[in-house]
Amino acid sequence: MTTAIGQYQYDQVDRDFLAARIEEFSEQVARRLDGALTEDEFKPLRLMNGLYLQLHAYMLRVAVPYGTLNAAQVRAFADVARRYDRGYGHFTTRQNIQFNWIRLEDTPDILRLLADVDMHALQTSGNCIRNVTSDEFAGAAADELVDPRVHAEILRQWSTLHPEFTFLPRKFKIAISGSPNDRVAARFHDIGVIARPGDDGRVVFQIFVGGGLGRTPIVGQELYDSVPEERLLATLEAIIRVYNAHGRRDNIYKARIKILVQALGVAAYRNEVEAELAQMDIARYRLSPEMVASIEARFAAPDLQAPEGAAAVLAEQRAQNMVFDRWVRSNTHAHRSEGHIIAVVSLKPPGEIPGDVTADQLDRLAGLSERFAYGELRTTHLQNVVFGHVRQDQLYDLWRGLVDVGLGAPNVGLIGDIVACPGLDYCALANARSIPIAQKLGARFADMTLQEQIGALQINISGCINACGHHHAGHIGLLGVDKRGEEFFQMTLGGRADDQATVGKILGPALPEDDTVDAIARIVDRYLQERSGQESFLETLKRVGEAPFKEAAYDTV
Amino acid sequence: MKRAVRVGAGEGLVITANRLLDGAIVWLSADHTWQTAIQRAEVLVSDAVSERLEGVQSRAQADGVVGIYEIAVRPEVGGPVPLTMRERIRAFGPTVHPQFAYEQQEGAGA
Ligand code: HEM
Ligand code: SF4
Repeated sequence: MTTAIGQYQYDQVDRDFLAARIEEFSEQVARRLDGALTEDEFKPLRLMNGLYLQLHAYMLRVAVPYGTLNAAQVRAFADVARRYDRGYGHFTTRQNIQFNWIRLEDTPDILRLLADVDMHALQTSGNCIRNVTSDEFAGAAADELVDPRVHAEILRQWSTLHPEFTFLPRKFKIAISGSPNDRVAARFHDIGVIARPGDDGRVVFQIFVGGGLGRTPIVGQELYDSVPEERLLATLEAIIRVYNAHGRRDNIYKARIKILVQALGVAAYRNEVEAELAQMDIARYRLSPEMVASIEARFAAPDLQAPEGAAAVLAEQRAQNMVFDRWVRSNTHAHRSEGHIIAVVSLKPPGEIPGDVTADQLDRLAGLSERFAYGELRTTHLQNVVFGHVRQDQLYDLWRGLVDVGLGAPNVGLIGDIVACPGLDYCALANARSIPIAQKLGARFADMTLQEQIGALQINISGCINACGHHHAGHIGLLGVDKRGEEFFQMTLGGRADDQATVGKILGPALPEDDTVDAIARIVDRYLQERSGQESFLETLKRVGEAPFKEAAYDTV
Repeated sequence: MKRAVRVGAGEGLVITANRLLDGAIVWLSADHTWQTAIQRAEVLVSDAVSERLEGVQSRAQADGVVGIYEIAVRPEVGGPVPLTMRERIRAFGPTVHPQFAYEQQEGAGA
């Protein structure tokens, strides 16, 4: 087997474990089908294996550890989509992929197919520590201080099948980044970790706790500014022990760690963590430099060699092709290594379903990654896909390959780059459909020149208060609500998930779907009138306040 | 216990579930079998529902269905039309993938 770039290499122990788990689940499925297990007995078992029952079929959520994939894994997704689903998959806001049309009896076979490429669906549901998410530009971005994948892998190993944390009061989500430019929404996670080099050169970690979205959106608070690497696991262990002991199990709406942190206050929470640390066997959780090095050694690093003049080739191609040039402006990010660049593939072509990819597109992405990106891809929490290491002189060919399969939309970070949950079309918990309004907005702002004029503007849509579409964190957020059987949308303005994380403020009464699209168009017009110079939407909003936008939104004359 | 579904004048109830094997949406027909097309569903009056529900609940494993409940519909010429958007999506398919719309005529048996 070839060594995959940017990924931890599993060993036989890992593979044997996965195989055993699949056989166990396979038996459980058989016992469910023959009636030995009732639905009530079976449901928690299938959820532990990532299998939900949604509106029309079973839904399988496959974990993508810290968002990193290799070409073989992407091909396996295409295979699942083609053979067991309806020809497509859906990338989620937690860097995972979901399949919406799965049959229960096929699930063991699907899990075997995925296990062949070291993938699984464990801990993608239930009140455990979920898949750890990370920066999609990890190991590549020019602005990165520490490659977060090594520690993300350490957290993955620590949290997977952690006996004490399998039945927490509620689900638990951790994100880790190694860049001061937070691309992981660290402050909206149960625990957010930002790594940076400490004074002695060893990594230290800033830790946020108690962030979250859902019914009670809260920005996480800093618990520690710089936890030394040796104490990272002990500290996280203590934080979660305190939550496990004191988190509310009596009320599902008050069960997340954010509620506990609010109730105690962050200082008191810190005291509890300190008390826990004082009586813990710290040595057991010590993360030694040798352990970190041994994990690091199991990541294959790409041999980044760009020919001299790669940058000049790119500049020349940009000068010759305006469409390509525009895509480069919106869909790339500076790479740490000379002659390289990071490319972001928008999964939001105008009028299409955010995050959906067809089997053919998946195959093409796998092929392109092999030709141009060391066989490696990443998923983003904004439902896009990233090629981490692309030679600048090959970017044009990569782009051509993307355009060819309808994945050339130059709208990353722009108004068309909409985040949306599955909503009422698929989700059993929804109040309203999120996808159709996303499609209408995408079509309304399809003009790429207009999008670029508008600039950075993130629209996020959730079909209910669970906030899977992160609506509170959108510059413009939409929450679907049900008003006597009609779908309405409540709008929030000013949310953001970066290092200045803010919960969006509700603008006013909810509007019907078509009125919402019109209202957003008027808000955008108003912004273009109000903005001074190159101000972004958020900057204008900050300067002029929400009043003009409220006026525009509800101005129906 | 779930709240009883309210029905207005001219409206009725149908009983629905998901098929255990593949999660497909099914509807209870007059001959007490589960059908994939809502057109085949039997429209019941409120009073008849709880007894019928008890019956199908007890046979759920044998019939291979899960999550049985009743929904309000408006009987139309082409068949019952659910009152809520959620149940219309269940009956007719996701609104965003026209190619996945459920067939409106004959449904295959469960
Ligand atoms: C269709 C099946 C899904 C179901 C049943 C579901 C259910 C839920 C529920 C119940 C919550 C609230 C949890 C809480 O606050 O304790 C939640 C939160 C969340 N879900 Fe989903 N979800 C689904 C799909 C998705 C998808 C497709 C995405 C990504 C697009 C997603 C991403 C998230 C995220 C990021 C949260 C974050 C809120 C938080 O942790 O505070 N979910 N989901
Ligand atoms: S936000 Fe609500 S509607 Fe959307 S996927 Fe989550 S639970 Fe479903």
